Amino acid sequence: MTLISQRPPVGTPRPWRFPAFERRTVSGGRVLAAHLPGRPLAVAALVIDAGASAEPLGREGIAELVARALSEGTTTRDSHGFAVAGERLGATWRASTDWDSLRCGFEVPVSGLAAATELLAEAVRDAAFEDDTLARVRDERIDEVSIDLSQPAARAADAFAAEVFGDTSRYRRSDGGDVASLSAIANDDVRGYYADRLNPSAATLVVVGDLESVDVEALGRIVFDGWKDQASGPATSDVSSRAPGRRVVVVDRPGSVQSMLLVGHDGPPRKIDDYVAMTTMALVLGGMFSSRLNLKIREEKGYAYGAFGGFDTRKHGGMFVARAAVQSDVTISALADLVAEIERMHAGGVEPDELEQARAYRAGVFPINFAGVMSVASGLGEIVVHDFGDDHFDELRQRILDVTKDELDASASSRIRPDDLVTVVVGDADGFVTELKSAGLGPVTIVPDEQ
Amino acid sequence: MLAPVAALPHYPFSEHRLDNGLRVVISEDHLAPVVAVNVWYDVGSRHESPGRTGFAHLFEHLMFQGSANVARGEHFTTVNAAGGTLNGTTWCDRTNYFETLPSHHLATGLWLEADRMGGLLDALDQANLDNQREVVKNEKRQTRDNQPYGSWLEHLHELCYPPSHPYHHTTIGSMADLDAASLDDARAFYATWYAPDNAVLSVVGDVDTAETLDLANRYFGGIPAKRGFPTPPPTDIERRLGKEVRRTVTDRVPVPRTFVAYRTAPFGSKEFDALQVATTVLGGGRGSRLYKALVLDKQLLQPSDGAVVDSWPFIGGATLTIADLPAREGVDIDVLEAAYHAEVERIASGVTAEEMERAHALITSHWLHHLSSVEGRADTFGQYATLLGEPGLLNEALPKWLAVTAEDVVAVTAAVLNEDNRAVVTFLPDAPDEQEAAA
Repeated sequence: MTLISQRPPVGTPRPWRFPAFERRTVSGGRVLAAHLPGRPLAVAALVIDAGASAEPLGREGIAELVARALSEGTTTRDSHGFAVAGERLGATWRASTDWDSLRCGFEVPVSGLAAATELLAEAVRDAAFEDDTLARVRDERIDEVSIDLSQPAARAADAFAAEVFGDTSRYRRSDGGDVASLSAIANDDVRGYYADRLNPSAATLVVVGDLESVDVEALGRIVFDGWKDQASGPATSDVSSRAPGRRVVVVDRPGSVQSMLLVGHDGPPRKIDDYVAMTTMALVLGGMFSSRLNLKIREEKGYAYGAFGGFDTRKHGGMFVARAAVQSDVTISALADLVAEIERMHAGGVEPDELEQARAYRAGVFPINFAGVMSVASGLGEIVVHDFGDDHFDELRQRILDVTKDELDASASSRIRPDDLVTVVVGDADGFVTELKSAGLGPVTIVPDEQ
Repeated sequence: MLAPVAALPHYPFSEHRLDNGLRVVISEDHLAPVVAVNVWYDVGSRHESPGRTGFAHLFEHLMFQGSANVARGEHFTTVNAAGGTLNGTTWCDRTNYFETLPSHHLATGLWLEADRMGGLLDALDQANLDNQREVVKNEKRQTRDNQPYGSWLEHLHELCYPPSHPYHHTTIGSMADLDAASLDDARAFYATWYAPDNAVLSVVGDVDTAETLDLANRYFGGIPAKRGFPTPPPTDIERRLGKEVRRTVTDRVPVPRTFVAYRTAPFGSKEFDALQVATTVLGGGRGSRLYKALVLDKQLLQPSDGAVVDSWPFIGGATLTIADLPAREGVDIDVLEAAYHAEVERIASGVTAEEMERAHALITSHWLHHLSSVEGRADTFGQYATLLGEPGLLNEALPKWLAVTAEDVVAVTAAVLNEDNRAVVTFLPDAPDEQEAAA
């Protein structure tokens, strides 16, 4: 016998919990610190309630510009000087925004953690925001968006958001803004957003790593001592959707060898009662390799390299979307398959073995997902953003283990709305548009490939 | 030598060889209850036969389609149901397969890898091949043919290696060759290259070494050795191009972008290590020379999070060091390219101690980051064991980089990053009327 045919017995699971962390108040500021022994690198980062969702209409993308400009010069050193100071510590600076937060900080060898925290405080508190710098950062960002939008997936995502969300909705444009909105941003808009939103009352310092010989209190003081609020809080977010009903947008790209397909609609925010049921159901539909969409589109039909889908849940709202990049000549068949799988999930829910698979994967993968300092810091960021309790991830894992088929089926029925599907196709319209008009997906609008 | 960490890391490991020739590397790490299982096969796209480009990668897909005791689709469902993640990749010199699992599922990972190492042919059929052929063609469309600049790899391979060299073609291959691949090709490829004595199994994580070795023997021990592999296509080649070669590609791209590739000594050589430091001084991080000159001062180069200049880890005769230079909107690409070359040439006048300190600190922390995950470490053990024959080189890499001096940086830059040793591929946007004609 050359191979063992019998599956191996499964060993005893080793106990796992999300790393314990402490909450402190230092100099009036919030600090979350998790001690992960043995890791050579540590993270010091600020999670700031300055995400993109409350940006002013017509000037979307400011938060991302602020995040980028923080490291582009302070009152004591220029952009190059700031970069070199961090890199001589072996520190890697990361700053970005999403819908609900602006996050910035360093990953650094533990020995450099205090020095890196000094630099973090300098960036956030003493950013210089000089005219030339802000203009360069904005223009680089505009060029970056133009390059991004030349890729079918990004172009499709933009068209999808614009069709799903209303004219006054912040979700209508990407969280990083687009060329038009970025072009409308003046230097004083950036400075104003910084003054209004990057304040200590909106910020939490997250520290993760081997903190055995680290004075967390001192790190808190470095960031918060003497840092004062300049102005007050965010405006409200408008995340309204358009009227329901099926419709199709085609972005015409003559000569495309694939069609990029997105199908979906608006969706609920993160904090809902059926969050675990809804997202586990979505895992069955399109969140794993063995999910229905991928098995159908890739493993059965060979139409695409992969097909996936799920919910994007934000603080104030979100969306549901399924996606695949398919060879051009199967555009209509692949769309029909995507829509059929969405309808089947809505109408029939999940099979018991699918639930078992999704539940086992989702609960089982926690130790892998939170093995490193960066991922634990990111988990703490989620706790900050959504104001979750200390046991959030352990409770979430238990909820996943307990969720039932009835709960998943109820979420499938209520959260997936086949009658409201918005379809976006980025591809060579000549090849499929006639058939698309009679595909039952609603009225078809064709737009040229311009930004 | 100043290093940003008090003591250089040393990752303990043990190396074993089963009776059938399978090399096994085990490294215990009990920080988290997870384990990485990783198998490197010493076969990649440079081992392909003429007319069968892309085959090694297509074959990698077939390895996920079931085997003697694993039904079609079960490879994924088994790993996922264990709470694990998985994938496989193919490049010129190798093919690797890997899963990360909660550590009490170690045996399942080993069993799955053994079953396809020893029993793939039981499950391989025409339907699987035809399906994955279409999947791979769509992978090529999605990642290359339907992407702006997507052909850059193909141009560099063609320009930097002659048609007779196995790096002349890309790993993804050509559509015609993918279409031509037959079930007999797959059977022959498997019989030729997939064997325990052509593979390295690395296990890193929350495991016991003796127990892991027992399990490896249990699941892999019965797979017969092949003993004897064909000589791969020869890779002998000059380590320099000897002249500048250029190609201009007019295509549907948003801004001009230039790639500059240099031929250099392969992965594992002293020159390769020195270049790692030189390219970090030049283009690694926002404190680098190229970033300061081209992004901040002259505002010619579109910044990115990655390094401006990087090297591929090829072992076949010569590898490539490549600069990626996307232009800012409205910038003349020739002006950007000239400014880039000027910065590279300026290295000849010397590198400061502060620049060396910055480069060494960045290399150290990036290496620590790369090795901090069990999957990163397992893959790197497999890489050194497969390509250079010695997994312990993982622990020697950082000291080698830290020993590179400013003089070494100046010397290797002059020797490699010069105009007689570069291939330049420039993408220019189509004029709108040309786009119409092309469509």
